[in-house]
Amino acid sequence: MTRLTTAAAVAALLIGMPLSAAAQELVMWERSGGNAGMVDALVAAWNEKNPDRKINLTYIPHTEMVPKLAQAIASGEVPDLMGLDLIYGPQFASAGQLEDISSYFAGDATIATASPGHVQVATYDGKLYGVPLYADVSALFWNKDLFRKAGLDPEVPPTSLQEVHDMAAKINGVEEGVYGYYLPGNCAGCNIFTFGPLIWASGGKIEPLDANDEPLTGDNLIMVLEWARTMHKEGLINPSAQAENGETFHLAFGSGKVGMMGTGNFNITLAREQNPGMDFGITLLPGIEKGSTASFAGGDIVTVPRGSKRVADAVDFMKFILSDEVQLEVYAKMLNMTTRGDMTENAYFAAEPLVQDVAKAIEIGVTPYTLKFFELINSPQGPWLQMLQRVYYSDEPIDQIVADTKEQMKAIAAE
Amino acid sequence: MYDTKANRWIGLLYLAPALLFVAVFTAWPFVQMLWVALHSWSLITPPKFVGLGNFTRAVADRQFWVSLGFTLQYTLLITPILMIGGYLIALLTVANTPLRRLTRVVVFLPVVIGLGASSLLWYWLFSTDHGYINRVLLDLGMIAKPIIWLGVDANLSNWAIIASVVWKVIGFGMILFVAAIQAIPHEVNEAAMVDGTTTLQRILRVTLPLTLRTVLLVTLVSVIGSLLAFDQFYIMTAGQPRNLTATSVFYVYLNSFPYLKLGYGAALSLILAVIVLAFTLVQMALTRRSHA
Repeated sequence: MTRLTTAAAVAALLIGMPLSAAAQELVMWERSGGNAGMVDALVAAWNEKNPDRKINLTYIPHTEMVPKLAQAIASGEVPDLMGLDLIYGPQFASAGQLEDISSYFAGDATIATASPGHVQVATYDGKLYGVPLYADVSALFWNKDLFRKAGLDPEVPPTSLQEVHDMAAKINGVEEGVYGYYLPGNCAGCNIFTFGPLIWASGGKIEPLDANDEPLTGDNLIMVLEWARTMHKEGLINPSAQAENGETFHLAFGSGKVGMMGTGNFNITLAREQNPGMDFGITLLPGIEKGSTASFAGGDIVTVPRGSKRVADAVDFMKFILSDEVQLEVYAKMLNMTTRGDMTENAYFAAEPLVQDVAKAIEIGVTPYTLKFFELINSPQGPWLQMLQRVYYSDEPIDQIVADTKEQMKAIAAE
Repeated sequence: MYDTKANRWIGLLYLAPALLFVAVFTAWPFVQMLWVALHSWSLITPPKFVGLGNFTRAVADRQFWVSLGFTLQYTLLITPILMIGGYLIALLTVANTPLRRLTRVVVFLPVVIGLGASSLLWYWLFSTDHGYINRVLLDLGMIAKPIIWLGVDANLSNWAIIASVVWKVIGFGMILFVAAIQAIPHEVNEAAMVDGTTTLQRILRVTLPLTLRTVLLVTLVSVIGSLLAFDQFYIMTAGQPRNLTATSVFYVYLNSFPYLKLGYGAALSLILAVIVLAFTLVQMALTRRSHA
């Protein structure tokens, strides 16, 4: 009898232990991509301080994030925390699928200084549904080593698309496998992040706000597209970039084989890890006119999907990542953008001029606000990427390509 | 004597588990899908009844027809390769010698790998910069620079995927063909040999007619599988370039999940189901005729 009781007790212990441990874990989903290191560090910092309610983090391929979350919501099996590409904030908040966390942040000083772009898309109908998880801004990175080899002044970056072209032409082929510029051919998100600003800087507009809004406007839009076609036709971009679907986009600059490319602040640390000896600079993405600039202010917000039973714990994590300590010792220390504006002046950034350069992009950053962003822009099968592929790799008249894309975008906006 | 009312109930009772399974996992979801197809139904917002709106929209949807055309093209290209290739390998390996048995095992092995896993394997084999296929072709001097196999040229992508799928499934047809050929009585072949027939004549006049039912069965399975192709295209091209390699099922998936248009996706699924049913009926009629 005693033996039986002991066996039962051991069995109960063995079964019960993992269950009780799992029951206290918070489940978090986050999209895959170049910021994984940053999010890993945030979660590790939280887990160290909260051993009784650790976060179990899962990465979802970035193209699968929207369907995966929608399925989770429909089935009721939602994570407690969801890192969401900020542009989807309006779509999910307007559908009533995120927990309203306004009351938790009433009177909280940290949210007042949080990135305005993030807070704007995380706010719907006056209620708050998320806080910034990380901020990404796009900028032009240039490889000073390759500039030197090409006989260019390594301290003078291009200030117009014409200069980008001319410098790329000089850099092309200075070493085996070196190309002047880089545009990913199969990644819609990468292109809105790095090619979109070239259009914005030139006075163009891309997506429609709603069914009555005209997409793809601006006198210089066609010129920007023609520039991109020329860059490809003249072989200034590695042909293998045509297959780049976003999985290895963040590794392109650090390879040391690209003279210039539009990428994000996350690439500073990554490029250093990949290629410690590489000397590079960061400037703003230019447009047609000399001196015109723009940037995509992106990143993720962290939200609580409706149905989570751990809202209070999830909010604690949000407050944790907005705290002074995490802003300094995790974000700034890793040379990522701090998500609070009042934390940008710190010792880590002061010692790193590149971060200061990229931080300039925040002031001019654009964050699109639309309920159809995925279908219009981010989908690998959407009109935005189809347009760019036709521009980059075909000889079709650009006017016709733009007309077709306008029609597709309007049809989507009208649904 | 056995056809009593009680016996009929007992018979039904024996059938009940299977009927219940079909009702719960096939019939009920199908009815639900019909219901969903009549709505504008996103996963995150309440559904709205639209009647046959999703079906009329599908008729006018250019991409749906592009996808259907591509799927038919893929089916027409791959089916003869699988049939003729599988049959030829079966003929070559039908005798039960150790080497031929080993060959059958080697050809059949990929069949037991998941299609997702094999597609990923081939995705990397075809990789422009890191793939073995370009490496081998470069080293042999057959190409001067790496070829971008996937996602750039629709035809090239299609052929690359066909190569990967043939490797993956050709063993399935082969094993059924081997079984069918081995089931032909020796006397028939011997009689044909006594009549002085050549090997080719025996294959065309004896083996092929006597295994026609298996050929039609394998064709049916292959055609349905090809019409419903998804994994390989989703993994290897994601519909690129410009949705030219987006198969019908891929387009259904795209609308249902990434675009969150579940109602429209359900309507497209139903249209596709009708097309597959039509193919199946034609093939079943052919099978019956061959039997008669």
